[in-house]
Amino acid sequence: MYQYDQIDQQLVRRRVEQFRNQVQRRLSDELLEEEFRPLRLQNGLYLQRHAYMLRIAIPYGMLSTRQLRTLADISEKYDRNYGHFTTRQNIQFNWINLEQTPDILADLALVEMHAIQTSGNCIRNITSDPFAGVAADEVVDPRPICELLRQWSTLHPEFAYLPRKFKIAISGAKQDRAVILAHDIGLLLKEDDQGNTICDIFAGGGLGRTPILGVLVKENLSWEKLPSYLTAVLRVYNRFGRRDNIYKARIKILVKALGKIEFSRQVEAEWDHLKDANDNFQNQEWLRVSQFFTKPEYQPVAPMSQDELVKGVKSTEQLAFKRWLERNTRAHQQSGYTSVVLSLKPHGTAAPGDASTEQMRAIANLADLYSFGEVRITHEQNIVLADVEQTKLFELYQKAKKFQLAIPNIGLLTDIIACPGGDFCSLANAKSLPIASAIQHRFDDLDYLFDLGEISLNISGCINSCGHHHVGNIGILGVDKDGSEWYQITLGGSQGNQTSIGKVIGPSFDAEEVPDVIAKIIEVFVEKREYLESFSQVVTRIGIEPFKQKVYASIKKENTHA
Amino acid sequence: MLKVISFPKNESPKQITNIWQILRNAEGEESAALPSGKVIVPFSWWLARGRRHEFSQRIINQDIGVWFSADDDVLAHANIILEDQDLWSVIAVDFPVFRDGRGFSTATLLRQRLGWSGELQAIGDVLIDQLLQLSRVGFDTFVLRHDQNIENGLKQFDLYGVSFQNDWRSNRTLLSQVNL
Repeated sequence: MYQYDQIDQQLVRRRVEQFRNQVQRRLSDELLEEEFRPLRLQNGLYLQRHAYMLRIAIPYGMLSTRQLRTLADISEKYDRNYGHFTTRQNIQFNWINLEQTPDILADLALVEMHAIQTSGNCIRNITSDPFAGVAADEVVDPRPICELLRQWSTLHPEFAYLPRKFKIAISGAKQDRAVILAHDIGLLLKEDDQGNTICDIFAGGGLGRTPILGVLVKENLSWEKLPSYLTAVLRVYNRFGRRDNIYKARIKILVKALGKIEFSRQVEAEWDHLKDANDNFQNQEWLRVSQFFTKPEYQPVAPMSQDELVKGVKSTEQLAFKRWLERNTRAHQQSGYTSVVLSLKPHGTAAPGDASTEQMRAIANLADLYSFGEVRITHEQNIVLADVEQTKLFELYQKAKKFQLAIPNIGLLTDIIACPGGDFCSLANAKSLPIASAIQHRFDDLDYLFDLGEISLNISGCINSCGHHHVGNIGILGVDKDGSEWYQITLGGSQGNQTSIGKVIGPSFDAEEVPDVIAKIIEVFVEKREYLESFSQVVTRIGIEPFKQKVYASIKKENTHA
Repeated sequence: MLKVISFPKNESPKQITNIWQILRNAEGEESAALPSGKVIVPFSWWLARGRRHEFSQRIINQDIGVWFSADDDVLAHANIILEDQDLWSVIAVDFPVFRDGRGFSTATLLRQRLGWSGELQAIGDVLIDQLLQLSRVGFDTFVLRHDQNIENGLKQFDLYGVSFQNDWRSNRTLLSQVNL
């Protein structure tokens, strides 16, 4: 993975000094809170309900085990022995003192980490495919581009005070695992006939109050032109994006207002002046960065089928191991290797995406033993060990189990994406963690979960949609009505190549009803499904009406809230 | 007189005395006479009357500059800016609130696209924590908000010593270091 040179190192070190000075000026009231706010946000520091929350960047989801151990140390030293991995592949600590933040950032700088631009109205941490560089369906390894753009976007002087946040996601595989259409900019990397990297650019996607999928604004752009093209997009947005209403300030609103054709035309007109400048990436820059993303030293091992792997273990372990292989492993480019997903979705015992200090250290140990010392974070809030030798899978599985990291529920109903919600976040209208926990308890039967197959269930505690509820097959959104917490259900959302936005089924429910409502929805699915049909296929085929009828027929009308 | 920070390209930042006053016109004050001395007028004022004969001596005396508001679209007025900029002794860009980042793009365009090589002032809600970015996009004079600590402000320009982007002052560190 990428390693800092003296430029990166100097930049993060100086950033810590700058922020230390700003914190001191804030503490002495030389700097007003209103003016300090964007400065701390661009260093990842939010003020939440109980304390400050620090969001640390994990660029495109990649961590070394040394970095993960530092995160574990931070959770122990400055927080409450856990961290929360987010839907943007970052990590958050929820119980931080303002005074200690510069020290935490200094600890991070020692292991080539920072919290720069993890919040605020700027270009945020770039996200990508957690299986980058290893996925069997990969066309272009997105990591060098991710890293080049990380550098390009870091402390960009023109774009530090945009109308609103700006999120970029990058995919280079046949199957989109980075939800590129739900981002301000989504990049799809491809190869042209000569084997050069080119990309399609989608703009104006985003979730939040007005969920919109990105539209294709540029096709087949040569990779080295990305800085000039993105500058053109961002300049048009910075100049003309709305600043009068926070809910209409994202680029999606501008793209929608102008229309795809006019927006693209304005960007193109701007780009005409920029496209041949030396802002563009140079080949030497590519070489410098891409050398860090070479293949690890794979051993020449014979590939094994799942059956062979299962037959190799004790009969009492076979069923559980088979399930884990089915759900928690992914095909690899390298023969004899597999990618493993460690689940951070235990059934109700911890919040989705939470990892304890002990678990973080265990994950680091596993990655050192079995995956070349590298870890990836998924936007579904799980952990990937990308390069595991198949013959070591059972060993890894057994060790992961001891730390509650081997629940075979990846992609199943209980693999819930959830934001921290009203328990922590001061923006939230409602809690999301107790809802996730209640649903996981309700469906705590692996046989049943396996039978149901792939279902994504995403929960957001407010319309900011950090839990990506719009693109969940089942989406749950916390809403505030007359000061109490209610939950609105959407169906039909999906991510991946068929990304779509879910539709609201009707009036919202109170917290206690939610598990029953989900159970009813599942009943309809089981009733209506045809052989091998997934939940999402059934919703597409029959629409939301049958679900609606069942749910509202059985839930007492007086309990629901229009 | 008010002190401001001057940081011309390839020089060091220093305090200087401000010689310019800003004419902030409200609607309906369009006919107000031009104050004496060195005045930076709103771009809308210039559009309406800048080329009138009565102001030509002031222009020759280098008494006139023009400021752009955050709403002014400098590209829409590119022709006028290209044509008239020789008459202006200074350009300023206003920040109605420090969080409004449009001025960063305005400055970039004035420098890169519209060929302005003279003095470019940042005016309005200019705080010391934005000085670094402002100086990188093309500003070289900074009229800080009255409550800002100018001594502290002078220290904000060399916080990093490295950068990942080309800007008005220098290319990205990597380009200059490895001589690509």
